[in-house]
Amino acid sequence: MDESIDPKISLCTVADRLNSAPPAKADDAFKELTGGLRQAISQGLYDDAAKALRRAIVPTLDYTHLQSLQRIRKQLRGKATVARQAVKLAILGSFTTRQLADFVDLFLFAAGVEAHIHEGEYGVFRQEIFDAQSEMHRFAPQVLFLATTWRDLGHHPDYTGNATDVSRVVETEYSEWAALWQKAHEDLGCQIIQNNFTLPPWRAFANHETRQAGSAARFIALVNQTMANAAPTYVTIHDVDYLASLAGRWRWDDPRFYHNAKLPCDPECLVDYAHSVASIVAAQLGLAKKCLVLDLDNTLWGGVLGDDGVGGIRLGQGDPAGESFLDFQKYAQSLRRRGVLLAVCSKNQHETAWDAFAKHPEMALRQGDFACFKANWNDKASNLRAIAQELNIGVDSLVFIDDNPAERAIIRQLVPEVAVPEMPDDVTGYVRTIEQHRYFQVLNVGTEDFQRTAFYQADQERRHVQSTAADIETFLRSLEMKATIGPINPTTLERSVQLIHRSNQFNLTTRRRTVAEVTRLLEDPSWISRTVSLSDRFGDNGLISVVLARVGDEALEIDTWLMSCRVLQRGVEQFLLNHLAFLARERGRKVIRGQYIPTPKNALVRGHYEGLGFSKTGVGDGGTTDWELRLTPEWKPMTTFIQQDAGYANV
Amino acid sequence: MQTSREEVQQVFRDVFGEDQIVLTDDMTADDIPGWDSLGHLNLIIAIEKRFGIKFATAEISRLKDDDQNVGTLLALIARKRG
Repeated sequence: MDESIDPKISLCTVADRLNSAPPAKADDAFKELTGGLRQAISQGLYDDAAKALRRAIVPTLDYTHLQSLQRIRKQLRGKATVARQAVKLAILGSFTTRQLADFVDLFLFAAGVEAHIHEGEYGVFRQEIFDAQSEMHRFAPQVLFLATTWRDLGHHPDYTGNATDVSRVVETEYSEWAALWQKAHEDLGCQIIQNNFTLPPWRAFANHETRQAGSAARFIALVNQTMANAAPTYVTIHDVDYLASLAGRWRWDDPRFYHNAKLPCDPECLVDYAHSVASIVAAQLGLAKKCLVLDLDNTLWGGVLGDDGVGGIRLGQGDPAGESFLDFQKYAQSLRRRGVLLAVCSKNQHETAWDAFAKHPEMALRQGDFACFKANWNDKASNLRAIAQELNIGVDSLVFIDDNPAERAIIRQLVPEVAVPEMPDDVTGYVRTIEQHRYFQVLNVGTEDFQRTAFYQADQERRHVQSTAADIETFLRSLEMKATIGPINPTTLERSVQLIHRSNQFNLTTRRRTVAEVTRLLEDPSWISRTVSLSDRFGDNGLISVVLARVGDEALEIDTWLMSCRVLQRGVEQFLLNHLAFLARERGRKVIRGQYIPTPKNALVRGHYEGLGFSKTGVGDGGTTDWELRLTPEWKPMTTFIQQDAGYANV
Repeated sequence: MQTSREEVQQVFRDVFGEDQIVLTDDMTADDIPGWDSLGHLNLIIAIEKRFGIKFATAEISRLKDDDQNVGTLLALIARKRG
């Protein structure tokens, strides 16, 4: 390639072009990108190269392209500074994990994570776990991925066995895995990702396979089901069987590369496999997306609302295109129902667009499905920023769906943090495209998820009251807030960890702890945990704040203090401080210490401790500040308008 | 079907990330940096994709034997393409 390109300006555009290139031009687009990346690296422009490389890495690339990108990624290791987070990941497998590990690293790199990966020796995962002197123990991973296959099943029922015989074998099989997890959890306190087992493509019992108690497929399905039902919260079951079914079981299980290179599946399938694993690790680091932002015309319905009118748009039964758009709406609604926020970002007349969701008889999505609605003539980049701001989430938590390639290109340029997937021309391909990217990866589900949109809507009512209230005190009083405060318990554990993973802005130290790590802290008597749930006359806000603190020799030391931004400026911080002061005094401590560790996202709480009356006692690396509050006899609890729910004791 | 050396050469260049590779029949894995067991696998995968052929399990491992070189690989590809 002779033509020299200025990497600063156009390398990201080249990466985007690869993403949207038709198959016939993909190879050329790829060469242009790799050429540009090498040139940028040779000129020392590591961050520019890293930014462009991150954009180019998508799960729709093939094995060979990913291998090439991995080589470039290795040249950037330790040189580019764009990573937002780091993670120590151990991969223990019963097959060659090299390619899988490389691709997991690549997808984590794309998500802004610098992964430090320890690969176990081939096939000795049990020894690595049970031997306390093993390299894996010295590595001390935060996340342990057990990359197993059906070849690692230790037991198989007899073909002639009845249901009772088989369930005994299932129980034995499960308990051996459970013992392995427990050992790893006790020794390392790490979160575990455990593969389930793929069903074989061949069937000794042909069509009867699923009904024969002792058949391979039925046995494996039962083991998978038992794992899904019984695995403890510190284990994430990775659904490899689903990946195999997506790829097609014969294709997935092509044994040529198992026998030649001990690969677990067809090499091309490793791309999706690694992406799936990386999406789980990324979600544990709080990087899952939170909001699906939708364009309207030719995205949620066919035609242009402003021109065709509510009656003229294509949506609903009887018309192939109309049915396809309806299906897409139903898919978006299913995401909303499980906790993904939906928003609209469209160039339209607000009233016309808003009314369409009430007036059109076949609309699946209704006004109540949207947490935020921006239909106006502003540019979409500004609208996307406004949506993130109103919902109090990062711009990088948004996924933007638009049928118009030009709009997509503009957003990628102007708001590069927003995920903008390349959409197919036909709406029937939308669901698959969104699913392929695994934007909304789920680790666990709580009642908060199902109510999330309602929380945000109640927020809008509160904002309305606030804008009409005479002063802040009148407003806060009018909310009639009630708080429940108490230690993390089994029913609040998963939501607490979810907040630990998700909170970015109101998060003093951004320490991402897994379920496993939090459980260990709870067992330690020198640690105190508190959660706050807040309700008011507009509704329940759910569990919105988590504090972890250690009772030191002289002070109560706050390790983690985070809060959902939905409840900013309601006095929850003051309420919690009063409670912490009570806890400190109860334990004979006269000092509370806190720390602020700056990240690109938590500037919001830079002045948190100062505002609560703490004094600064030190400034450390990277702007970290240490704070202290002396609980002298003169110290008085702060004023709040939150009533503590009588049902809970100060324990 | 005629398989041009240039086409295979391009696959080698893509797989090993080295635009200077010029293939000759007597070249072996020792002559090309990166042609280790992982490189070999990547090469097989890329060749299969590029030419729409499939190597048998035994052929994939046989290609690593001492008496094999680029010439035998080219011949095998040509035979597979028929």
